Amino acid sequence: MKPLNKFYTMLMILGSLTPVSLYVKAQDSTKKDLLVNIGYYNVNNNVAYLGIHARTKTDGKFKPVGGAKVRLYLDKDSAAYLTGDLITDAKGEAYTTLSPSLKDLWNSSATHTFIALSNGDAAFNAARTETPVAKARLQIDTGAGRTISVSVLELKNGSWTPAKSVDIKVAVRRMGGDLAVSDKESYTTDSTGKIDAEFTREGLPGDKKGLLTLVAKVEDNDLYGNLQVEKTVPWGSVLNSENSFNNRSLWAARFKSPIWLLFMAYFIFISVWSVLIYLIYQFRKIKKAGRTV
Amino acid sequence: MSNENNSRREFLLTGLAAAGIAAGCSSKKSVFEEASGDEVKATGKLVKLLSVDGEVIEVDEAFLKPVPHLPPVSNSEARVGIPGKKFVMVIDLSRCKNLKKCQSACNHAHELNPGQNWIKVYSMQDAEHTAPYWEPTTCMHCDEPPCVKVCPVDATFKRQDGIVLIDSDRCIGCRFCMAACPYSTRVFNWSAPDIPAEVAAQPYSCESSVPQKKGTVGKCDFCADMTRMGELPHCVSACPNGTFFFGDMNEDSVTNGSDTFRFSDLIRDKAGYRLMEDLGTKPSVYYLPPVNRNFPYGSGVEKDSTGHPVTIN
Amino acid sequence: MENTIIDNKITHDLMPVPFGFWGKIWTGILLLFCGIGAFAYCLQLKNGLAVTSMRDYASWGIYISNFVFFVAISLVGSLITAVLRLANVRWSTPLTRISEIIAVSAIIFASIIIVVDMGRPERFLNLVIHGRLQSPIIWDVVVISTYFFISLLLLYLPLLPDLKLLIQSRGNRSDRLSKVYHFLGSFWKGNPEQVKRSRKSINLLCITIIPVAFSIHTVTSWLFATTYRPGWDSTNFGAYFISGAFLVGAGAVVVAMYVFRKAYHLERYITGLHFDKMGRIVVMLAMLYLYFNINEYLVPAFKMRKPEAAHLMDLFAGEYAPLFWFAIVVGMLLPIAMLMFKRGRRPLPMFIAGIMVVVGAWFKRYLIVTPTLLHPFLPMQDVPASYHHYFPSWQEWAIALGSLAGCLLVITLLVRIFPIVPIQETINEQHETAK
Repeated sequence: MKPLNKFYTMLMILGSLTPVSLYVKAQDSTKKDLLVNIGYYNVNNNVAYLGIHARTKTDGKFKPVGGAKVRLYLDKDSAAYLTGDLITDAKGEAYTTLSPSLKDLWNSSATHTFIALSNGDAAFNAARTETPVAKARLQIDTGAGRTISVSVLELKNGSWTPAKSVDIKVAVRRMGGDLAVSDKESYTTDSTGKIDAEFTREGLPGDKKGLLTLVAKVEDNDLYGNLQVEKTVPWGSVLNSENSFNNRSLWAARFKSPIWLLFMAYFIFISVWSVLIYLIYQFRKIKKAGRTV
Repeated sequence: MSNENNSRREFLLTGLAAAGIAAGCSSKKSVFEEASGDEVKATGKLVKLLSVDGEVIEVDEAFLKPVPHLPPVSNSEARVGIPGKKFVMVIDLSRCKNLKKCQSACNHAHELNPGQNWIKVYSMQDAEHTAPYWEPTTCMHCDEPPCVKVCPVDATFKRQDGIVLIDSDRCIGCRFCMAACPYSTRVFNWSAPDIPAEVAAQPYSCESSVPQKKGTVGKCDFCADMTRMGELPHCVSACPNGTFFFGDMNEDSVTNGSDTFRFSDLIRDKAGYRLMEDLGTKPSVYYLPPVNRNFPYGSGVEKDSTGHPVTIN
Repeated sequence: MENTIIDNKITHDLMPVPFGFWGKIWTGILLLFCGIGAFAYCLQLKNGLAVTSMRDYASWGIYISNFVFFVAISLVGSLITAVLRLANVRWSTPLTRISEIIAVSAIIFASIIIVVDMGRPERFLNLVIHGRLQSPIIWDVVVISTYFFISLLLLYLPLLPDLKLLIQSRGNRSDRLSKVYHFLGSFWKGNPEQVKRSRKSINLLCITIIPVAFSIHTVTSWLFATTYRPGWDSTNFGAYFISGAFLVGAGAVVVAMYVFRKAYHLERYITGLHFDKMGRIVVMLAMLYLYFNINEYLVPAFKMRKPEAAHLMDLFAGEYAPLFWFAIVVGMLLPIAMLMFKRGRRPLPMFIAGIMVVVGAWFKRYLIVTPTLLHPFLPMQDVPASYHHYFPSWQEWAIALGSLAGCLLVITLLVRIFPIVPIQETINEQHETAK
């Protein structure tokens, strides 16, 4: 596979986002340009995922394009290199994984290029995007005093070598967004490809066993794409979520009304209705007395 | 904007990846799954995938989707809520400039009758000489909800994750809850909502609150369908200024999509408070006072076509 | 012998008579109003509550105030029949039937109007299927049905001896009315056992109905007082509502006394004495209600807490001031002033005072419901301009008036079928006084 050439590097510097987009020049002025970004995600050094995001610019604003048909290739845009046929959802997104048929191709090089091709349709011009990716991996380790060391390794000449000057975020997994382990936003690797972070979120609730999931991530890196690695550590406080949901209360569900209320209500209800039932009984007696005489 | 998109997309994939490991490597339940409170059930159908190391591995099909596909929850599940969660919202008044993107995103997502708003942005001025500010309000999802107390038929209910929802298939339209709510958060469908026929024909879900029905009450639902998927409510992701923070009290963390804070630190450092604390309703929505504002109050005043400020009646 | 003549005269005087010309006109007008109300309700069923002027802030309107009004009026049954009977007051005998009839028909229309107010009336049974004991609405449902049942019994049991007379008077006729009488009362022979059991039952009913009557209106007041809203958040509300209910109920009985006396020439049975006594009762109740009103408004007005202030100022000197002072002056002060004097307690002035009390009371209920809802804690913003005010739409007026007409219609029909003044009791009392 072609190593990264200068042309690509230049483009990458120009682009603000990692996945560099190349647009096919507008052939038809009534059609809009489709902008496709490719994202490469390596999570826990397991299965890599590829995501595309299709957008278009309307009135100076980017809007997602749903239903866009995009073919994703590895290295070359021919049928043998096809990674996936994707159709974007309402958010303009679609995802795929690498298929086992590409095994040999994938293993043949440390760097690859993903190519997204869209043939265009009535509303959009054809589009082509290329995104280079160099194989890399993250390693996370924890040490005494709640320190976390993360290293970035890239595959060079068949061996994993440290990668320097890579920005890394170290956080704790939380709903909707990850909480940085300390007040420091991000770290940059040194010549050994390593960073050291300190966990300062004392008493942060973990799960029922006090476990927290640490996550180290490289986001939108020009060379490596998105890398993520997780580690579970027992640094959290034990979650003791008291829940009054099942208690009897005035706002609880119908079968959870407070005892005092049940008692009062039934007491009043039964006393009044027992009188009324007695009256009905009396009434029947009156009726009977009328018949017997 | 693109940052937000990326972080969310990455989040989805993390879920997928974690699930993938769980299926591919061991039977251990991934932490993510526990955190989301939902388990993706294995289908038993294995799919071959290529790992980053160039190995072919097998993964259960169910774990392949970016967002684990959850079947719509049943009414009884929707009434119980997600175990181990306690949702909380923080609204930073210093960031609001009355753009109402939250409102339009909410209205769109819940297919509200045009003109109806679940989120309101109030122009507030507490006293004659105090500074005006913009105050967005959602349902407060009170821990002692006065609306739920008075509902005669369990049509509105409080779940274990703190969310107060409405079952529009059960609501009898007595509007007692509207009278009981001190935050005026509830709205009523006085007529059949003007929504597309295919939306109206959907079966009602308490978690998505769609479709709204004639003669029943509606209100902010903290986007219970989104939170079940581990995603943020629509107002949170729609606000370009990051005014809304959402999270799980049990994780002590709130996020607006790009910034994540430890909830207790944020509330302590910025003197967070709740509305009408004296009523004892114990809201789940906290406010950060409008200090060190990102925008002056005046920048949010709506102007009419002639450029005059629109008076708020 | 003399007794028999008197008995026959009483029986003759008090027998229900077919509608005359004006009776038919009156019934026709009521039917017309009911019809218009039913038509308006059909429109509401079709288009939803959007046909009303109620919106998200004024989410309750005249349906609810009408409901409160009906519940209030229905309390009179317990007042005139039960309280006075237990206090061994004799003069009230001719008024018991009227007040029980008013109570029963008012409670029927209270239930109807509350269903009209529901956004989803077809889900009414959810109250049974999914009923939640924590909700004051459920308390109201239980209490209202209990009260309805008791009122019905209290109307029915004292009617039994009269039914016997009615059956006798019909002879061998077998028209529909006779069948109704036979069905209801053919078993009544008036033998000692029956009389004894009946008297005992009525006494027991009179005791039971008082706490239930207090509950029904207290619970109705709690529909408001269990919320936080200014004007409703009051511990005074139950007593305030009950005193108001007794007043409007007494007012309604006065009006009914006058009308029936005129229409059926009952001057011998509903006498100046009755008006005089009822006048005194109305004065006492109006003063009681005035007392609670002062409590209800003066105390918060003294403090003028911020959320209360806007509401109170709107009542005292703002948008609602004319209505507010009308309800106070016409509904309480003027009747007190009139009925304080003996000359004011003659039938015609009493009738006018009764009308004033009832009309004032109706608007009072409106003032209790609507202004509070239009003074929420958070400002009314971000809503269409129409949400800021409330004036009932024609459909609401039609339905509310229709329900009032319906209530009057039920009263009219019951009076057509049954004696307005209990015949047998009147005869018995006549005998006792003769001794």
